[in-house]
Amino acid sequence: MPALTHADTPGLNAVERPALSVAEGFGVRVKNAEIMLQGDSYALFADIDYRLSARAMEALENGVPLYWDIHIKTLQHRDYFWDQTLVNAGLRYRIQYHALLNMYRVRNEGDGDLYNFSTLSAALDSMAAIRDFRVLERSAYVPGKRYAVGIKVTLDRDALPLPLRPIAYTNPQWYLSSDWTLWPLTK
Amino acid sequence: MAFDKIKPPISLSILILFGLILLLLQLLSSATQESSELSAMYSWLLLVNGLGSVVLLGLVGANIYSLARQLKKREAGSRLTTRMVSLFVVLALAPAAIVFYFSMQFLHQGIDSWFNVEIDRAMEDALELSQASLDQRMRWHLRQTEQLAGKLVDVQETLATLEMENLRELSGASEMTLFSRQGRIIASSSINPGDILPSLPDEHTWLQLRQNAEFVALAPVREDELMIRVIVTVKGKEPQYLQALYPVPVRIADLADSVEFAFVRYQEMHFLRHSLKLSFSLALSLVLLMSLLAAIWVAFISIRNIVAPVKALVKGTKAVASGHYDQELPVMAQDDLGFLVESFNEMTHRIARASDETRMAGIEVENQRAYLETILANLTAGVISFDAEHKIRTANQAAYRIFHIPVTQFVGRTLLELVQNYAELAEPLKSIQRLLEQADDIWQQRIAFLGPNGRQELLCRGTPLFSQEGRRVGAVVVFDDVTDLIQAQKNAAWGEVARRLAHEIKNPLTPIQLSAERLQHKLADKLAEGDADILRRSTTTIVQQVVAMKEMVDDFSEYAKPSKKQTVDIDLPGLVQEVLALYVLKSGVKFKVDYEAGLLMIKGDPVSIRQVLHNLIKNALEAIGDKGLIEISLRRVQKNNTDFIEIALYDDGPGIKEDQIEQIFEPYVTTKARGTGLGLAIVKKIIEEHGGAIWVDAGRRTPGTAEVSQASGRGDKVGAGFIIQLPACNF
Repeated sequence: MPALTHADTPGLNAVERPALSVAEGFGVRVKNAEIMLQGDSYALFADIDYRLSARAMEALENGVPLYWDIHIKTLQHRDYFWDQTLVNAGLRYRIQYHALLNMYRVRNEGDGDLYNFSTLSAALDSMAAIRDFRVLERSAYVPGKRYAVGIKVTLDRDALPLPLRPIAYTNPQWYLSSDWTLWPLTK
Repeated sequence: MAFDKIKPPISLSILILFGLILLLLQLLSSATQESSELSAMYSWLLLVNGLGSVVLLGLVGANIYSLARQLKKREAGSRLTTRMVSLFVVLALAPAAIVFYFSMQFLHQGIDSWFNVEIDRAMEDALELSQASLDQRMRWHLRQTEQLAGKLVDVQETLATLEMENLRELSGASEMTLFSRQGRIIASSSINPGDILPSLPDEHTWLQLRQNAEFVALAPVREDELMIRVIVTVKGKEPQYLQALYPVPVRIADLADSVEFAFVRYQEMHFLRHSLKLSFSLALSLVLLMSLLAAIWVAFISIRNIVAPVKALVKGTKAVASGHYDQELPVMAQDDLGFLVESFNEMTHRIARASDETRMAGIEVENQRAYLETILANLTAGVISFDAEHKIRTANQAAYRIFHIPVTQFVGRTLLELVQNYAELAEPLKSIQRLLEQADDIWQQRIAFLGPNGRQELLCRGTPLFSQEGRRVGAVVVFDDVTDLIQAQKNAAWGEVARRLAHEIKNPLTPIQLSAERLQHKLADKLAEGDADILRRSTTTIVQQVVAMKEMVDDFSEYAKPSKKQTVDIDLPGLVQEVLALYVLKSGVKFKVDYEAGLLMIKGDPVSIRQVLHNLIKNALEAIGDKGLIEISLRRVQKNNTDFIEIALYDDGPGIKEDQIEQIFEPYVTTKARGTGLGLAIVKKIIEEHGGAIWVDAGRRTPGTAEVSQASGRGDKVGAGFIIQLPACNF
């Protein structure tokens, strides 16, 4: 199912325009995004599709930890000014291969929770699901204004081992981060 | 603003820049150490260093470009700069390249030496050993749990909790839980009574469990704690699952952890080997590139500073070579180049002073020459100088005035060449040339010739010129027109003679006359008729002769005394008419008078001028006899920038013999039987006293005419002509 991208949000033309997908076969994309009213706030439900490149996979299997940042922001549209960022939050995951246990370990850097998976896809899936992420208080919602929620997933290249960094910045195989994906927040 | 003054000197800027570069490089190399805090800034440092290199590259490129342009324009100092920069680059590049090459070699070999097959093997073996050890423990726990499960078969759910507690304590598990087939917790027991919720297996585990009926795995509980999770099926009527969590002993967990850490580290390093080499090479190359570029740039600046005085010197030298001696170069440093610049300045000063002196001397010489030339030009004596080949070198104004030849136009030619153009001067020129060629010493000669103004007499003095070595280098001839001087001498002499004659002769004449008349008066009556007649004739003769003698003496005294008594403006045509009026009645003689239009006035004594005309006309009448033609013409002429009135008087009488022409104006020269010979002498004297000139018009006579007329016996058609020039009256 295609992601709800800018093309589907005619009202929000001032936010960042997503660039073309970097490469075929690998990269991170946001799919199945949905905003629902949960109690007294709006919550984000989204699925992220992680597809690692061969180089990234190889690094991971050789014990290199990969850090992923999921940036989430809520924007309020303004007619004559750039959009106001109301909420700017994020998640940070670390994924690492453990040779002794032959497991992939995912760690939520926010709360320190650890999860172990015997397969890579299971580990990636654990990072893929964003469930019930509060993006806006219901009370902060002003009718008549237009809102949008954006997601961007980046691979933290500066957290890579030092020798890998220059390569990560120059080799497209390491261009794994997604673009901003936006969709409108409607009542 | 005083900003310029507080601007730091260029050397300080360079030092600061170098410090900055060193700091950046140091930071970069520190950042490559994994543990360093700068590690996080590695990418930024790399970027900044890269940018720095690009900036330096730009600077060096700009310098090279400007140098190339200067070279193309062949600007001063550009070749020296090029040579020095090339030398510097080669000198800096060679050792840097060598060090770089060996560093790279060392780096690559060093990194490669970290890894080899044995260590690889050992690492994998160690990991396998750990895994095997854990596996063994897991299997053992699995069997143990299976045995425990046997005891739980068909146990009442209410009793299960109690049984579970026993079993857990028996087995040494930290937690034990019984699940229903659907995953519901039936009973649970934990070593830690606080744990109400047991650890739940995830979906993946359930999947495996349903497939294999048992499950065993190592479960990392926390970051550094390992548990063995065992789930077995309790085979009763209703299948249940028993999950037991066994803690791995701390020692074993630590060892396994340590092995894993080492293995992972090794694995990672092995994987990153190429990246490591690349990033070290990158850092090294960047360091080398940046230091080299900075060095080259600084070299450019320093060499420019070094070459600047040389450049200035080259420019200055060029300027001096092209004649601009006012070169003052700034002395920028107290080193050898500064000394050179100072010396150059001193040299240009001296050259400038010397050239000034030369110029002044030249001006002085020129002034002297002009002064001498002015003196020479204003000399009344003509001066002509000759070179060793007797060619004219210089001539003054007076030479022209005397010869009436523009001698200055004939510079570089000999006098003989002049002869071809001026045949009438052939005689004097030839004789001067002869004297020039022959004389070895100072010579003096009087040369007479017939010039356009009549006979002229020159006093020439020649002086041969010798160089210091005694070589003959030319001659100088100075000549004076002494015609007037000689004439004046003659006139003075004749005047004295006349005055004496008048005085000595006139005195006895009166007594002689009186005595003769007394003799006549006393003796006439006493003598016989014949004797008385003789006496009367004799005394008459005496008286007549005495009277004639008196007249002659009067003439003499007339000649001797100054004639110009009073000067008034005289209208010459009027005067001529007046004089001619006395002669026109004379039959047989025709007068033809020709006046030029315009004023023909002179300043002079009218009595004297009238006498001149009388004398000349009388002279002509005596020459032509009873019949003939006398022509008189008056016109204005210009000579030597002065206006003259020319009176020309011609007759058609027998003419003047050639040998008489030269002496005709001297006293007692006459062609006539009668006459004192003073007529023309007086005329000449009066004219000269009036500042004029008179000469026989030789041009009127054609050569040989005189001889022809003498031979034919008819001299009356030859004619004589006189030309008088008197200064005109200017208004």
